[in-house]
Amino acid sequence: MQQSIWQGIKLVFRKELVAGLRFKAAWAAMLMFALTTLACVSMAMQGGMLEPRLLAALLWIILFFASLAGADRVFADEDTVGTLLALRIYGRSQAVLMGKMLYTFFLMVVLATFITPLFVLLLDVTVTVPGLLVGVLLLGCGGIAAAGTLVAALTTGANIHSSLFSILMLPVILPVFLPAISLSAASFGGGEGAISYLAGMGLYDLILVVGASLLFDYLWYED
Amino acid sequence: MNLKQGNVLLAAIGSLTLVLLYLVFWVVPPAQGLGNYVRIAFFHIPLAWVSVLAFFMSAGWGAGYLRRRELRFDALSAASAKLGLIFVVLATVSGAIFSKLTWGAYWNWDPRQTTIFVLLLIYGAYLTLRAAMPEPNRRARVSAVYALFSFLTVPFLVFVIPRLFFSLHPSPVINGSGSLAMEPVMFMTLMVGLLDATLVYVWLVQKRISRENREAAA
Amino acid sequence: MVTIRFEAVTQCFHGRTIFGPLQAELASGRVVAVTGQNGSGKSTLLKLAAHLLLPTAGSVVVTADGRALKGDSLRRRMAMVTPELRFYPRLTARENMDFLLGLRGITLDEIAYRALLNRVELREQEIGTAFAGEFSTGMRQRLKLAVLLASGADIWLLDEPGANLDMAGRKLIVREARQAADEGRLVCWATNDEREEAAADAAIHLAGH
Repeated sequence: MQQSIWQGIKLVFRKELVAGLRFKAAWAAMLMFALTTLACVSMAMQGGMLEPRLLAALLWIILFFASLAGADRVFADEDTVGTLLALRIYGRSQAVLMGKMLYTFFLMVVLATFITPLFVLLLDVTVTVPGLLVGVLLLGCGGIAAAGTLVAALTTGANIHSSLFSILMLPVILPVFLPAISLSAASFGGGEGAISYLAGMGLYDLILVVGASLLFDYLWYED
Repeated sequence: MNLKQGNVLLAAIGSLTLVLLYLVFWVVPPAQGLGNYVRIAFFHIPLAWVSVLAFFMSAGWGAGYLRRRELRFDALSAASAKLGLIFVVLATVSGAIFSKLTWGAYWNWDPRQTTIFVLLLIYGAYLTLRAAMPEPNRRARVSAVYALFSFLTVPFLVFVIPRLFFSLHPSPVINGSGSLAMEPVMFMTLMVGLLDATLVYVWLVQKRISRENREAAA
Repeated sequence: MVTIRFEAVTQCFHGRTIFGPLQAELASGRVVAVTGQNGSGKSTLLKLAAHLLLPTAGSVVVTADGRALKGDSLRRRMAMVTPELRFYPRLTARENMDFLLGLRGITLDEIAYRALLNRVELREQEIGTAFAGEFSTGMRQRLKLAVLLASGADIWLLDEPGANLDMAGRKLIVREARQAADEGRLVCWATNDEREEAAADAAIHLAGH
């Protein structure tokens, strides 16, 4: 039984990946959105030196809004194309949820790997504790993926789904967002980062994954 | 709701409110440092309490719907959230006024302010989600799931935010050691306020539900 | 032995009653046709049977050997062919099948795959490496049938399966449905075609409101 769920997760993840790679527009839109936002911020600052706290906030705002351009599609795309019914008939809830969550996480990590070095270059940021920044980025991406996948499932079928997605996302993701900004600021040399925040983020990520997993069954099965 | 019960409840609310007004404006002495502004707190704290209570109840009734699949739980959950939104707005406004009068700024992202603001966002998001879902069964399911999912932020709001932000709020009335850090008169007044606000909440939820039942029957 | 029992089922959309109260029982080993004009709720009835939709009033109970099936245990035993069912447009036929069947824990080897294509009269050189999005409607219909057959499900819910198919295709479906019922599967078939209706063992007629 455990084995077959893991198989299912792999299948869903691979399907998302293959379909995603064959439809480059979605990737291009997400990365270009992030790049555009970054360019706007960088140009507006005109090379002025910013405080670590402000830099950290900017980085996470860029990441959050760029993620909205990618993460809200995991279920909405299937709904638009009409494949959601096939997935509901053949896929088990947990395999679908976890596979899609894993894919969103992968998407977020690619996005962060793309945008963070550019951010550091364009805004002339000194990263004093690189390890901490990597850790925070990973945990932040994890949180966005966990919450984003469930919220995406909630908003499918609503006619205003993409604005609804960000409205529903923000309160749930704030507990990841706020410590992430504090810790990123610390990694840019502003204040010290408490390890307990990092642990707290990890714990909250875990709570989100477990909560999403428990609640998703109610969305997937009508009875 | 049974008519007689409702009248008893209304009478209780009416007399409690009179007692509360008397206590707040005639009995409670001006507080040290806060002066007469402290009187606002006896309305502000109960409002904030009901905002939190309504959120808990909304999530609880959401869970009830998911377990039993009866739309009346969804109606209760929705009614609670709608009232919660009104209470959270009132609590935010009264808090901001209190903050301006005593600390000089309407808003300063103090932990309690952050918490109440997140609560405001959750209520807003929940009600927007409901408005966007036309089909009753799907609406009930989706909003119950969201109410419970947003409930996951509670430990964060309670334990983590106070460490992230510096607080101007006094420490909790009943602190960890169980001793009372408040004058008995003030404490009693506060309890009357809390009870009064809770009863108002119960009365409003019942009223909303019985109105919806009448509309459904008509 | 699988049964689907409709108990006083009424279905409304936006305050309009589609059908009901409906009392019916479907059992394995039989082909039951669901007939009625457009908008009489044939597709809705199939969705109710699949528990993809909850009835406005009444209940739909699916049991297998005296045990109620719901959630995952029901989904795993059923398969559907409906016009609403779509394949992933950017995956090939083979990839679509591997994905959907893989989710049920079924793997198809090359021989089984070819045999299946033969059975639904799809020529491999025709579908080859093309994406499902490029298929004709008839080819897609046959592919749906192939997935249904390979799934080994014992509850078949067919919504106008003959639509978009030529004469040979319609005959193929009647033959497969008959064989499935003989093998002890439950076949519920929404149709407006008189010949298809005649091929069924029983019929539920939805009069419409």
